Amino acid sequence: MIQFHAYKMLQTADGELPLDVSLTFEKGQFIAIYGNSGVGKTTILRILAGLTEAEKVDINVGDDIWDDSLKRFHLPVQKRSIGFVFQDFALFPNLTVKENLEFALSKNDSTQIVSELIELMELESLQNSKPQNLSGGQKQRVALARAIVRKPEILLLDEPLSALDDEMRFKLQDYILKTHEKYQLTTLMISHSIAEIFKLSDKVIVIDKGKISKQGTPNEVFAETKISSKFQVTGEIISITKSDIIYVVQVCSGNNIIKVVATEEEIIDYKIGQKVLVASKAFNPVIQILL
Amino acid sequence: MNILTGTISKIQSHEGISLIKVRSSNVIFSSIVLDTPETAHYLQVEREVRIIFKETEVIISKDLKANISIQNQLSCRIESIKKGVILSQINLMHEDQIIKSIITSNACEQLDLKENDSVMALIKTNEVSLSAHD
Repeated sequence: MIQFHAYKMLQTADGELPLDVSLTFEKGQFIAIYGNSGVGKTTILRILAGLTEAEKVDINVGDDIWDDSLKRFHLPVQKRSIGFVFQDFALFPNLTVKENLEFALSKNDSTQIVSELIELMELESLQNSKPQNLSGGQKQRVALARAIVRKPEILLLDEPLSALDDEMRFKLQDYILKTHEKYQLTTLMISHSIAEIFKLSDKVIVIDKGKISKQGTPNEVFAETKISSKFQVTGEIISITKSDIIYVVQVCSGNNIIKVVATEEEIIDYKIGQKVLVASKAFNPVIQILL
Repeated sequence: MNILTGTISKIQSHEGISLIKVRSSNVIFSSIVLDTPETAHYLQVEREVRIIFKETEVIISKDLKANISIQNQLSCRIESIKKGVILSQINLMHEDQIIKSIITSNACEQLDLKENDSVMALIKTNEVSLSAHD
């Protein structure tokens, strides 16, 4: 079990914001952290990694203590069994892909993990290339492999896929899931994509203004409406168009855009960008077989 | 969306599907759901629930005693009509409850609907969703 508690006063554009978060999760879980920008999500990961100090921080990973502010104990970042992937990948530009991975090895580690990861992440044909010759998605795949070279207990992913296009993102999600399972990692990932969270995570934590506002399975957090309708999609309103006396609301959900009819009275409450649940009864949709 | 509140009065379940009767003022609504009291905690007799159905699923009949399969039949008075080119919105008054219906303007003309007309609002059982009222 991993227990995390931290208190830190954050300096934000809107003034001071107290970050006060207590988290408990099991080893092997995939945890998503969701919330608006500037609410403290990245700070949580950085405190867990030991990269950022906090006024009060207690972290226990299994039987190991990483932080105990009462006893003034702080395990330095290099002694924490952690892999980190940020949004802006920082590979060594003068080293090849393979060398980048090898560089992350500890002194006495066997290099077998490097070839294993190269195979798992399908980097064989790129292993002798320098980072400047890789695409964004390829670089991120290398960054992910490098974060796992030391077989960390905890993998921290800070929006690693947000700079990539959809196709690349879906592929990388599969790699992340594959490595999470193969190396039995405990993974914490910051993500803004509800579809991504549904695909990857066991548990999602919603952070709002420095506090946990909601947590549970993705279904409990994003789809729990207790409405009996079985045809449910969560997404974001992307447009509202008047059409005769009704309005057509377009909702983007993952890769799909769906259209829902609404009345003039209803659209008063709708805004572009709003997260919504679209529900219909299981009796209405028709299924067509795709050839 | 039309949203009414009511109290569950009867639940009949069979192989994962349930027919739920919900009393709302003096009308008993029928809703069919792919849940049972075992899979949805709010499906309990005497529980308050929301009855939800879309405007576009509300059929209007001038025949006040129609012999048809539709289970949910509410006697209403037409409060107002908003007419469009293709569609029209009929705002209905059922006791003190507003129910909205969206039908084609053609249908509205065919039935010669006018304010204060007495009509029946009809909603099929499988168009009624339920949601926990808490």
